[in-house]
Amino acid sequence: MSRRLEQTTAWVYRGIWGVLTTWFRVPSVPPTLPVTSGEQLQSFRPSYGFLRYLKFRFWLLLFVVDIALLTAWLAITAASFKIGLWLAPIALAVIVLPDIVAYVAIHLRYDTTWYVLTHRSLRIRRGIWLIHETTITFENIQNVSVESGPLERWFGIANVIVDTAGGGPERTSHGGTKENFHRGILEGIDRPDEIRDLIMNRVRQSRSSGLGDEHAAAPAWGTQYVAILREIRDSLVGGL
Amino acid sequence: MSLLTGPGIVVMLLPLFFKYETLRYKFEDDGMSMSWGILFRHEIHLTYRRIQDIHLSRNLIQRWLGLSTLSIQTASGSASPEMNIEGILEAEQLRDYLYSKMRGARGLDENIADSEQHPQDEALALLREIRDLLRRRS
Repeated sequence: MSRRLEQTTAWVYRGIWGVLTTWFRVPSVPPTLPVTSGEQLQSFRPSYGFLRYLKFRFWLLLFVVDIALLTAWLAITAASFKIGLWLAPIALAVIVLPDIVAYVAIHLRYDTTWYVLTHRSLRIRRGIWLIHETTITFENIQNVSVESGPLERWFGIANVIVDTAGGGPERTSHGGTKENFHRGILEGIDRPDEIRDLIMNRVRQSRSSGLGDEHAAAPAWGTQYVAILREIRDSLVGGL
Repeated sequence: MSLLTGPGIVVMLLPLFFKYETLRYKFEDDGMSMSWGILFRHEIHLTYRRIQDIHLSRNLIQRWLGLSTLSIQTASGSASPEMNIEGILEAEQLRDYLYSKMRGARGLDENIADSEQHPQDEALALLREIRDLLRRRS
């Protein structure tokens, strides 16, 4: 029974996916970055733990909301059996339908999130209705932060957040905050240390401040200069 | 009310029409610019090297029409993008072109190696000269 259910859901999901890619033009291939030959490129989705984390959060919320709705309906039925009976299909629809939609949405969100990493830059693709792709070179990154809550740690995932120079979230007129464009968020990563090191090594190697300045800065006093200055001092000391 | 709808639509559409008619993008070797407007003229210039990040977003209608919005950000204070390139059919190619011009996209390693191989030798030569002069004197 459960196997047939699984097959059916998989079939339905493939159908939804097909509609999205053909009619709604959701790209079916993972994003790439232009690379020179010999460079390696890795393209991956969030870890599987992220999907389980989203589902766990979904079940938690579903439990609370549906219990509340059910008790409300039971209370109405206890007060007046007629109205309760009359409301039963509506209550059923309100309780069950959003859950199915939310469950499918979780899967779609997971399947449409892509991260691309080379050793110079990263690209993030996210979204179903509004597909948003962010491209950032490591050279421009100011800081990297790794964040995870208790629930996320339980599922072995973390969010890697990279910031470039510029503004924070902008406050819109109606009190909300707009999306911060100076930030790339890699959600649900199961090897955050590896990615953090990859980016931070690159940031450390870079001598610029990541604000668009060039590399050709004034040369520092290198070892050659110091050696000659020492010789000059020594010959001066010898001459006196 | 319904009498106002006709002129209302025209008033609403006119700015869009004029923006469309006057919008120009210009891509040069080291930078790009866009300009639009008749009464209120806008011009934005920026260099490729100062691009911080590139965003490409496509909503459903844009996807159906094959369009997209390409947002370019520099390190200025605002969180909203400095330049929005809209209505371009070859947005992905344009993005990859801009990416290749961005700082850190390529050529970084060669630059570092280059600057270490050919340091600014004038100061070094001067110092050598001073040393030799001192030696000859003493």
